[in-house]
Parts: sequence; C-alpha cells; structure tokens
Amino acid sequence: MSICSLNVNGSAVSAEIQPRTHLADFLREKLNLTGTHLGCEHGVCGACTLLVDGVPTRSCITFALACQQADVTTIEGLDDDEITRELRAAFTREHGLQCGYCTPGMVVSARDVVLRMQDPSERDIRVAMSGNLCRCTGYVGIVRAIQGVIADRRERGIAAIPNGNRTRLGPSGSGNATPVTAASVRPKANAAPAVKKAEAPAAASLRDTSWKPQTTFMQSFTVGHPVDDVWNFFSDIGAVAACLPGASLAREPVDGHVDGQIKIKVGPISAEFQGIADVTRDDATRTGTIVGAGKDKRSNSSTRGLIGYAVKPGDAESQTRVDLNIGFTLTGALAQFSRSGLIQDVAGRIIAVFVQNLETRLSHRSGGGEGEPAMVREFDAGALMRSMALDYLRRGLRWLLRRS
Amino acid sequence: MKPVNFDYARPDAIDAVIRLIADDSRTVKMMAGSQSLGPMLNLRLVQPDLIVDLTGIEELRCFSDGADEISIGACVTHADIEDLRVTDVTRGALPTVANGIAYRAVRNRGTIGGSLTHADPSADWHSILAAVGAKVVLRGPAGERIVTVEDYMVGALEADLRPGEVLVRVVVPRLSKSARWGYYKSCRKTGEFAHAIGAFMTDPDRGVSRAVIGATESRPVVIAKACNVIGDGRAPRLSDSFDGRAVGEILEKAGMVDPLDKQTHVAALRRAIEQARPQ
Repeated sequence: MSICSLNVNGSAVSAEIQPRTHLADFLREKLNLTGTHLGCEHGVCGACTLLVDGVPTRSCITFALACQQADVTTIEGLDDDEITRELRAAFTREHGLQCGYCTPGMVVSARDVVLRMQDPSERDIRVAMSGNLCRCTGYVGIVRAIQGVIADRRERGIAAIPNGNRTRLGPSGSGNATPVTAASVRPKANAAPAVKKAEAPAAASLRDTSWKPQTTFMQSFTVGHPVDDVWNFFSDIGAVAACLPGASLAREPVDGHVDGQIKIKVGPISAEFQGIADVTRDDATRTGTIVGAGKDKRSNSSTRGLIGYAVKPGDAESQTRVDLNIGFTLTGALAQFSRSGLIQDVAGRIIAVFVQNLETRLSHRSGGGEGEPAMVREFDAGALMRSMALDYLRRGLRWLLRRS
Repeated sequence: MKPVNFDYARPDAIDAVIRLIADDSRTVKMMAGSQSLGPMLNLRLVQPDLIVDLTGIEELRCFSDGADEISIGACVTHADIEDLRVTDVTRGALPTVANGIAYRAVRNRGTIGGSLTHADPSADWHSILAAVGAKVVLRGPAGERIVTVEDYMVGALEADLRPGEVLVRVVVPRLSKSARWGYYKSCRKTGEFAHAIGAFMTDPDRGVSRAVIGATESRPVVIAKACNVIGDGRAPRLSDSFDGRAVGEILEKAGMVDPLDKQTHVAALRRAIEQARPQ
C-alpha cells in the first residue's frame, strides 16, 4: 500500500491505496466522487475524462500514484466554472444528453474544445470530440451545443487559448511530487509466479469438424537439405517440437497425439499455452496437418489452430521448400488486443527461429553428430533481435545487389 | 478490469531506473504516460511485479535545441509537440502529426518515447520520425548508444532495448528551408490506429529524400534514398515524380504480398506526396 496525495477540486486529500489503483477508482472508491464515470476502462470511450493539472486526461488509464500532488478537477469541481456553466445550459437547450452516462467526460472534453479552438468548423469539433462516445444522442445536439457556446464567447470577445494554459512539459499529473525511491519497494517474498497451469482442452474438442479458423495465412521457408531428410525428420514429433522455440512436450507422443505447452513472449505480453494436438501425415503426397488447441491461464485466452504443410523440392538442388498454411482462432483477453497482422508478424518470427533450429538439427544429423546441438530454446522476440536484424540486413543487401 | 497488484517506483534519475530494470528476479516494466501500457495492464495482458514510472525524471521531460538538431526527452508528450512547447525544427511535420494522434486527452499524457518503445507498427511516431531521419538515444549499464528510429522497432511490439536499457531522448535533425514533407494515414475512424501510413520528407539543400510506408503490421518500410520513387524534392509538383509501381515492388520485396494491402499502402504514400507541405 502507498499513500496517494492529490489536490482534488481545490482540497488536499490523502488516502492509502494499492499502486494498481487508477485515478478514476481512487476518486470513486476513496473519495466517493462518483461523477467520474467508467465505461470501457481501457481508454477508448472517454467517459472517465477529467482535468489533471488543468488539461483533459483519461482517468481509467492513468494511475493515481503517477499523479501524486497533482491538481485534479472532476465534474463535481466544475460547478462554478464559467465555460462549464455555459455548456450545461447549451447541452440542456440542444438535447446534448439522454442517459447521461457519457456526459461528465463529454462536458470536460467539450470545455477543452471551447477553451482552445478559436473558430472550429463542425468537422473540427466532431474530430476533437471523437474520443468521447455517446450511444444516445447521435452527437448532433452535443456538436450544436459546443458550436453555440463558442459562437457566443467569441462574440463577447473572449479568445481561445490554444495551449489550454499549459506551459510545463511531460504527462499531465507528472512532475509535482518527490520521487518514490527504490528503497520503499519491497522485494517479493516468492518471486515464482503463483499461476496455476491451465488445464489442456479435452482431446474430443479437436474432432469438431464444423470448426473453421477465423484467420488464415501462408508462410514458406527453405532449408538447405534434401527433401527425404526433411520429410523423415518431420516424422519425429519430439525433434520437431524441440526446434519450435518455447515449446515442450509433456510426454512422448502416441499415434500422433501430442500433449504439451508453448511459451511466447512478445514485448510486454507473455503467454503460456497448455494444449494438445493431433499430427497426421501422408507419405504419398508429402503433406501433413497439425490440429491443435491450447489455453493460456494467465490471460484466460484460448486458441485453436490448423496447420497444413507440404514438403517439396526447393529451387536449387538438395534444397527443400516447406509451404505452411496456418489457420487460427484466438479468443479471450489476448484476442481483445491483438490484430491478426500482429500475430502473423509474431508467427513469422517464430518460424524464422524454427527454421534456424531445423537447419542446425539437420546439419548436426547429416554430419553424424550425436545428442543435441545448441539451439534457441525460448521465443523471446527481444532476445532474437540480433538474428532478426541480421536477417533484415541480409535481405536488404540481397535486394540492393540485385538492383545494381 | 483491474490490473494485477504490482509494486511501484518513481525514481528521479536514469541511473536508478537502470538499476531497477536490471533486476532479473521480477517482471519489471517501464511506464511513461501509460496510455498504451494502461489498457494492457487493465486487460491483464501485462502482469508485472514492478512498474517503474519514468515521469518523475526531469531530464526526460525537457528538450534541448542545437544548431543541426533538437533533442526531445522521452517523456515529452504528443500535446507538448502539438502545442509547440517544444521548438519545431521540422517545418510543421511533428506538430501536425502529433495533432492527429489518438485524442487530446490521450495526447496530454502519451509520450514520444513511450510510443516508440511500445513499437505498435501503426503508431504515428515511427513513420514520421523515420521520414525526417530521427534517431533515438538509449542509455544502459554500458553507456549510451544511438539507433535510427526505423531500426529501433524490431517487430510488432518489440523495441531494440537490451537488458537494462532505457530510451532517454529522440534526436530530430533540423530541416532546411527547402524541405518539404507529407503524411497520410488511412483510418476508418478518427483517432484509431491506422491501416496504412505514407510519409515522406525531401530536403534538396541537404541532399535528403526519404519515404516511409508504415502500419505494415511489422517494421515500417523505409526508403532512405527515395529519389527514384519520389524525386529529389525540387519539382514544383512532387506528385509528378511519384513512381507508384516502384513503391509497390519495394513493398513486395519487403514481404507485403496481399494486393489490396499493397495498394492501400501505395495509395497512402501517394496521398502524402500529393499533400506535400509547405505548399
């Protein structure tokens, strides 16, 4: 727990809070200032917008401790504010609200438009207000209310203040307080995360034939080894899994049924999918499929995937080209954030490491090597930076050389 | 929709930050304006043990104006740049682009260094800063190193930060009086992340012509010597020199194969050039 001290609506307040408390929760739960509304809680809807150090701020994605000693003005503190008073009258006149849920945030953003924009067009106002969602009014009344207040104030000779009276640099709310030193940060007693392993989905779930992936994409790679070697290597599921960064099997595969996990770390996000998969292959056509499903307990996300692969001769002799057709569906918290293209980028980077490991393994085998060669075992996109940078450099050079 | 419980530190010096983030025994995340990290924490996509708030460091909240370049502290906000609290050396490029990032309430806290380090391929700063030829300065246990903005993004959501390193400032070159620039982003809704970004900067007096295709779902595609696709910047109508087919080929080489995707990105760059500023 930490002591958070703010200047809220002109009064100094202090309360003991957990560092994870965002500003809106601090105001609502500790100070009972429930005029600040919470809609989406991830910075999209604008309902929680209020003034921090005089400028509009999203209080749901701003932590209270990050605003230590700052001036916070909520809708309750704008009762006697001149612009807000005029806006209230205009919202009433123009029917700028119905249920009222968006209104506190709407009024704070509208006040900012009136304060800062000298002579905005209707479009300018709509763009400036686009960070505040209203599901009742259709915005027409809100825009008209703002236009009315601006026209009236400019007529009275009150000019806009483009910088909103802010002169300081840095995030609103920052720079008011003394540091929180590292000494006051307690090391955790048990560093090991208390995350329980997710239960793998039941094998029966893979046999649902009506399932179709949400997103599909293709990837190809080439390895410098003969087709027969690569095809034979792919029959050894354990060896293939060992090439997949972050993957590990829970037990030996039986009849192509696989049971294991894969750890993925991308930027600040890390996930650990527990899952199962069925692997089938056809020697005649040298094609195979992998159907899998997995769960990440930490983010409560699930994924299902279908990978089809085809092994064929490459452009040069003793080269093999592998075409992958990847389809997947992602649900849960991870899906809320990720875009399919990002997943393709990550998949591309995982495959790049897989290919690197595959080459190492195949060379090791064809060289008659025993045991395990050294390989990249974890998918940490940051740690791969150097190999990736080299890859980009190589591609760039190849392209330059071809052009000249 | 509450983050996991975490510890919080707000050091007042970069050395202290470097010491804190070097701790391997815990998941440590740096936080600037929290406008990208905040949602990820609330959604529990990120579950750190310790948050290191960088905004208490004075050095990160200022800028210094040099003869050939300007150094902008990592915790300077989009609104600081939009409102010209930071001197503009880019003939309006940075303030104009800043004005189009998300929404004002987000711009009041979101920072230039945070956005670059978050490394969302659709973020505006990556594309425009790569177009003007900016660099980032990273400080770590081994001292400082300088990386170009386009190299700073390794891939989606992954910045080139070595263990213990922190982005301290962004160095933007001063454009000459002959410089022109353009920026176009394709969004269905105001303030959302772009589907395609085109950006360019030509500065004939300094012999620079750069074009950037951003929002590619990975690193932006940077054409550092772009004379053959957008000209050297001396033509009165820059769009006359635009070679959309060459740009399409470059995108294909960079791995963008979907024809619709490619067309959207080529069109974004064309529009950026058609809207070249100053007029």
